Amino acid sequence: MKRLMIGTLVLLPSLTAEAADSTSATNDAALVEQGRYLARTADCAACHTTDDGAPFAGGVPIASPFGTIYGTNITPDPDYGIGNYSADEFYHAITRGEVPDGRQLYPAMPYTSYHLMRREDSDAIYAFLMSREPIARAAPPTDLGFPFNQRWGLTLWNIVYADDLAPTPAEDRSPAWRRGQYLVEVMGHCGECHTPRGWTGAMDLDRHLEGGMLEGYLAPSLRAEALAERGWNPHDLAQFLQQGMSPQGSAFNEMYPVMHHSTQYLQDDDLAAMATYLLGDAAPEPRTIEVKALDAVGESATRGRQRYLETCAGCHGGDGKGKPEAAVAMAGNTTLRLKDPTNLLRVTLDGIEERDFPGFSRLQQMPGFGDDLSDAEIADLSNYLRETWGGQPGNVSPQDVADARVSGTHDDP
Amino acid sequence: MAELATRPLTLTINGESVGPIEVPDDLMMIDFLHEYLGLTGSRLGCGQGICRACVVILDHDDGTSEEMRICITGAHFFNAKRIRTIEGHASRDATGNVTALTPVQQKFVDHFAFQCSYCAPGFVNAATVLVERLERDPVPRDRLEDAIDEALGHHICRCTGYVRYYAAARAAIDDLGLVREG
Repeated sequence: MKRLMIGTLVLLPSLTAEAADSTSATNDAALVEQGRYLARTADCAACHTTDDGAPFAGGVPIASPFGTIYGTNITPDPDYGIGNYSADEFYHAITRGEVPDGRQLYPAMPYTSYHLMRREDSDAIYAFLMSREPIARAAPPTDLGFPFNQRWGLTLWNIVYADDLAPTPAEDRSPAWRRGQYLVEVMGHCGECHTPRGWTGAMDLDRHLEGGMLEGYLAPSLRAEALAERGWNPHDLAQFLQQGMSPQGSAFNEMYPVMHHSTQYLQDDDLAAMATYLLGDAAPEPRTIEVKALDAVGESATRGRQRYLETCAGCHGGDGKGKPEAAVAMAGNTTLRLKDPTNLLRVTLDGIEERDFPGFSRLQQMPGFGDDLSDAEIADLSNYLRETWGGQPGNVSPQDVADARVSGTHDDP
Repeated sequence: MAELATRPLTLTINGESVGPIEVPDDLMMIDFLHEYLGLTGSRLGCGQGICRACVVILDHDDGTSEEMRICITGAHFFNAKRIRTIEGHASRDATGNVTALTPVQQKFVDHFAFQCSYCAPGFVNAATVLVERLERDPVPRDRLEDAIDEALGHHICRCTGYVRYYAAARAAIDDLGLVREG
């Protein structure tokens, strides 16, 4: 093959320039494709593409405890996008949060996680973004109250936190574990939601991946022992990331867009690597829950059984096995196995939107029952679910439900 | 197979008290209406709360009314509550013959809103809930179409009678003077 190419060059010197161009074009195309994949692993679209907007033109509102920040336009438009960035400047912006004019980006941009992104991966994403259609559209301005609208404060924040994120030494781990670590910690920036945040808004790195709060919902712990406690094994975890559904339940709230924009596109070995990293090279045995019979649950849960039959069993089944393409199973459901009942209460109160899943799957809308059931009824229902299928105590009180109602009342951005 | 657990159910349907009657604790309301009371006007379509052919009206003590999907709601949810089904809308004489339709029913007939009629009970109940809401709070003219769409838009009609259903609802709401001008 090599010889043939050399021969061709000798015989047809007039075509060499064109051949070189075409090789470089092929390389460029491969780099763009590589960048497209890496942009998905980094889930750029989650914040930079709105549901009905042009790809990467920005405008996705990101609520923070301090106000609303909008994803920016990262198309190659020179005025509204990143068209004037060099590959160096792009790398600097996504790994350090500093843009060419010297401004600091708000840390809603997960540069603390991207800090350790490999230069060649940044370059590939840069090549991909630069190959997109430029969109001349400004993203809405951020809406933060004083003092959080003072960007100079961020510089200090960065110095304090950004360099602490070097992953744990990994020499004794498998290649899959190390690949998974890069995908989870750096590209996927999972910790941005699943690590609790301190009062400054920065991740509390001592409690890495132990679970954070996001607009009234819990982003549950991704620690291996916590995942196993909630019934996860590597196979199901990889399936959940790829399909948004597994025997443990479906991706809802903010995890749905993560699956929709990012993890469904990941290659099988990358998904397996993420599961390997999260659960460890020797994954702990997932805990099995003995389904509790009705005569073994408490008084509140016994009342809750009747509420379940009246308002839930139509879709989730009297036996809790769910209905394909309609409603997930309660038996084996990971959300019921969380010690903290927040997500169960929020979903019961708010419901879940109808959603499409990969492979022409879908789940219908789950109605919210906040208007139809009282605090006491929802507490009973939650205790029935927790005790029967969750291996959790029936300790949800009507006051917990009342508190959850309040925590859910926020202005949608 | 566990023994069939039952519990007593008492409720008000179309203004008449029903029960107490022993009903399985997991029976869906649509099956109770069909099998225990012979009220077969509420239609079972999808059986999972999507098509809304099964919708009945739940009356609250504060005078408001609400749609309920009874293929996914258990009979006992309605214990001590008041509901209306499609059988309860028209006026009847002493022998049970229909003497007059409600304005919503009449407009649906006038506009040939339905063909096979399978979805019609759900549409009648949904449009009635809308009319009752507008009686408490009339809708501005420029919001009328949106209000109709919000009320009827989730109901599925496989004969695709949507345009006529909407036109009929619009006519009923107009005739009843439930639109605020300006």
